[in-house]
Amino acid sequence: MTTTTLPDLTLPTRPSRLRETIAAVLVGAVVLVSIIGLDIPWTELSDIPGRVAEYLRLMFAEPSWEKLPRALFETWRSVSMAWLGAIGCVVVSIPLGMLAARGVGPAWLRFVLRRSFAVIRAVPEVIIALVLLTVTGLTPFTGALALGIAGIGTQGKWVYETIESAQEGASEAVRAAGGNTAEVTRWALWPAAAPALMSFALYRFEINIRTSAVLGLVGAGGIGTMLSNYTNYREWDTVGMLLIVVVAVTMVFDLVSGSIRRRIMEGGRARAVDR
Amino acid sequence: MTTQTTELRMPPKPRNRWRTAAIVAALCTFTVLTCLPAIGGVELDFAGMVRNWANGADKMGELLRPDFSFLPRTITPMLETLAMAVAGAALAAAASIPLTLWAARPSNPNRVTRQVVRFIINVNRAVPDLVFAMVLVAMVGVGVLPGLITLFLFDVGVVVKLVSEAIEGADHHYIEAGQAAGGTQSQINKATLLPQSWTLYANQWLYSLELNVRISAILGIVGAGGIGRLLDERRGFYAYDDVSVIILEILVVVMIIELCSNLLRSRLR
Amino acid sequence: MTEAASTTQPDGVATPWSITLEDVSVTYPNGTRALRGVSAHIEAGEMVSIVGLSGSGKSTLIRTINGLVPATSGRVVVGGHEVTGLRGRALRQLRGHIGMIFQSFNLADRTSVLNNVLVGRFAHTPSYRTLLGLTSAADKELALRCLDSVGMLEKVWARAGALSGGQKQRVAIARALCQQPSVMLADEPVASLDPPTAHAVMGDLARINAERDLTVLINIHMMDLARQYSRRMIGLRDGEIVYDGPAASATDADFEQIYDRPIQSRDRMGSAL
Ligand SMILES: Nc1ncnc2c1ncn2[C@@H]1O[C@H](COP(=O)(O)OP(=O)(O)OP(=O)(O)O)[C@@H](O)[C@H]1O
Ligand SMILES: [Mg+2]
Repeated sequence: MTTTTLPDLTLPTRPSRLRETIAAVLVGAVVLVSIIGLDIPWTELSDIPGRVAEYLRLMFAEPSWEKLPRALFETWRSVSMAWLGAIGCVVVSIPLGMLAARGVGPAWLRFVLRRSFAVIRAVPEVIIALVLLTVTGLTPFTGALALGIAGIGTQGKWVYETIESAQEGASEAVRAAGGNTAEVTRWALWPAAAPALMSFALYRFEINIRTSAVLGLVGAGGIGTMLSNYTNYREWDTVGMLLIVVVAVTMVFDLVSGSIRRRIMEGGRARAVDR
Repeated sequence: MTTQTTELRMPPKPRNRWRTAAIVAALCTFTVLTCLPAIGGVELDFAGMVRNWANGADKMGELLRPDFSFLPRTITPMLETLAMAVAGAALAAAASIPLTLWAARPSNPNRVTRQVVRFIINVNRAVPDLVFAMVLVAMVGVGVLPGLITLFLFDVGVVVKLVSEAIEGADHHYIEAGQAAGGTQSQINKATLLPQSWTLYANQWLYSLELNVRISAILGIVGAGGIGRLLDERRGFYAYDDVSVIILEILVVVMIIELCSNLLRSRLR
Repeated sequence: MTEAASTTQPDGVATPWSITLEDVSVTYPNGTRALRGVSAHIEAGEMVSIVGLSGSGKSTLIRTINGLVPATSGRVVVGGHEVTGLRGRALRQLRGHIGMIFQSFNLADRTSVLNNVLVGRFAHTPSYRTLLGLTSAADKELALRCLDSVGMLEKVWARAGALSGGQKQRVAIARALCQQPSVMLADEPVASLDPPTAHAVMGDLARINAERDLTVLINIHMMDLARQYSRRMIGLRDGEIVYDGPAASATDADFEQIYDRPIQSRDRMGSAL
C-alpha cells in the first residue's frame, strides 16, 4: 500500500491515560511488596511440586476404603449439623431481616439490625463458630447452633435486600388498596419474596456443608474431625478416601440443591450471591 | 372489604396441594433423619447445652472486656495475613484469566475442554478452604506457603466460576463480527471479549480479595500462617480478653478492606 | 474457478468477487427449514438488495455466503471458492475477503473504536501478534484510513459504546472495509437507525460499491431504500426466491408475491427524504 499517494491523516490527540497508569503501578507495587514481605522459603520452592506429587500419590494411588462406613456416618453428622444450622439461621434471619427492610420496621430498629448484621458479617463465620464452640462445648449440637448464629449476618442482609427489591412494585398495589403494614407484608412482600428466600435458605445449607467440615477440624465432630485425626495419624490412604468423600458429598449436595434452587426461581437465572 | 381488594390484586398462583404436601413431608423426613444420633445425626441435647452455656457465660463476659495492651503483638501477624490475602488474590487473578476463557461458552465453543475445566474447578470448589490448608500444611510444612496456596486455589475457584457465569449471561454480538472477519477464537477473545469483560473480572478480583482477608484470618488455626495462629493460641490458653482484641481487629480490617474495595469498584467502568 | 485467491490490488482495494448459489437449502438443527433450493448468481461489482418478510430467510441467506450458517445442501461459490465444505483455517481465510455488517452493529462496546476496526485485520494477522497486542504500522494506518473514509476519524480513541447508533454502524462499516474485502454483506444495516441516518449509511454503502467497485449484498426491510440504492432486488418468501429482477421496475404484483399482500404506504420509510 503506497501511502504517498494518499493525503496525510490528522489524528485526534490520544486522551491521557496517566491515571490508569498510576493506578496500575500502585496496584503492582502493593502486590510486589506483599509477595516479597511474605516469609516464603524461596530456596525450597523447587522441591515442593515433587513433595506434593508424592503425597498425592500416597493419598489417591490406592485410597483405603476400609473406613468408608465410618466416613459416611461422620459425613451424615456433618450434613446434619449443616442442615440444622441452616434451619436455625433461616428461622432467625427471616423475621429479623424483614424488620430490617425499608418500610417494614421502625427506622431505629432497622439501623440497629443492619449494623449488627454488618458486624457479624465482617467476622469470619468460622471464628464466630469457633469462639462459641470453645465457650459452649464441642458437640455437634453446639456446632449446629454456632453455624446458625454465624450465618445470620449474611443471611439477614440477603433477606432485607430481597424484601426491598420485592417491595417496589407489589407493596404499592396493596397499600393503594388500603392495606396496613401487616397486610402488605403478608399479601405483597411474602409472595414476591418467598422464592428468593427459599433459594437463599438452600444456599445457606450449601455454605454450611463446607463450614461444618471446617468446624470438624477444630473438634466439633463429623467428617472434619475424622479428616483432622487421620491427617495427624498420617494415614494418607485413609485421608485420600476421606477427601474423595468430602468432595463427592459436597458436589452432590451442590448439584441437588442448585437444581432445586433453579426450579424455585422458575427457570430464571439463580441470582449470583456472595458468600 | 379491603382484604378482598388485596386478594383480587394478587397474581393467580397455580397451587398443587399434593406436591406441596410431598415437599413438606420430604423436608420433615430429612430434618428428622438429621436428628437421629444412631445414623450419625445430631443429638438434640438441650440439657447439655444449657449446662454448657451456663459454664461458658463468664467466658463470654471476658470476651466483652478486650485487653488492648495485647494489640501490639497482633500487628505483625495481621500484616502477614494481609500480605497473604493480597498475594493470593493477585496470583489467582493472573491464573483466572485463561481458565475463565476456557470455562465460558462464548469464549470456548469446544464442549469437551470446557467441561473438563469446569469439572476441575468444581472439584476444587468442593474442598472447604481450611481442609485445603490442613492437608497442604501436612504436605509442605507449617508456614505461609500452604496458606498462600490455599488462598490461590480458593480464589481461582470463586473467580473462574463467577466470571465465566457472568460472561455467559452477557450478550456477545461482537463475536459473530469477529468470526465473520475470519478471526480465530483466541484472537476474538484477546481483542474483544477480554476488554469487554474486564470489569466482570475486576469486580470478582476485588471480591476475592475481600474473602481472602476473612479466610487468611483463620488459616493459622491449622498452621498456615497469619493472625489465625495467634487467635488459636490465645483461645487455647482461654485468654478471651486477647481473643476479643484479635476479633475486633479482624472486624476492623475486614471492614476497611471492604470499604476500599467498594470504592475501587465504584470507579470501574 | 477463474478468479485468483488473493486479489488485492496495489492501492489496497480488492477486486470484486461474484457470488453463485446453486440449489442451496438450510435446515437448522431444530428442524426449521430456512432456505429451500435457492439459486442465484450475483455479478462482481453488483449491488443487490434482498427483501422479504421477517422470518423469510434473509439473514440465513446472507450468512450462508460467508459460512456463518453452513448450507445443508447445495453449493455456495464466492469468488471461485466453494464455501460449502471449507472449514477451519481455509474458511477463516475466505471470510477475511468477505466483509459483513450487522443490524445491531456488533461492536465490542467497552473497547476503543480503533480496536474494533482492527478486528477487520484478524484474518490477515498471525494469532500470536493479536495475543501479544502487536499491531503492525500498516494495519493501523489502514484502520485509520477506513475510519476516515466513513468520517469517523475523530472518534478513533472513543469507546465504541459511547457512540450513537449511526456512528456505531459507520465504525462497523470501517471494520468491514478494513478487511479490504471483495464482497460486502449487510444484514439489515439500517433497521435500528432513524431515517436520515439510515439514508446516510445506505449512501456510504452505495459509495463504497461505486468507488471500490465492490460486490454488495444488503438485507433490507424498507422498500423505498431498496429501490433507491440498488439496481437489482431479490425477494424471498418462506425460504424461496419469489422475485429476482430490477429494483425499480418491480410491480405491485411482485410485491404481493413477496409480502403476501399489496404494497402499502406504511411499508415505505417515508418520502420526506
Ligand atoms: N439459529 C437458528 N436456529 C433455528 N432456527 C433459526 C435460527 N435462525 C433463524 N431461524 C429460523 O429460520 C427462519 C429464517 O430466519 P432468518 O433469520 O433467516 O429470517 P429473516 O428473514 O432474516 O428475518 P428478520 O427479518 O426477522 O431478520 C425463521 O423461521 C427463523 O425462526
Ligand atoms: Mg434477519
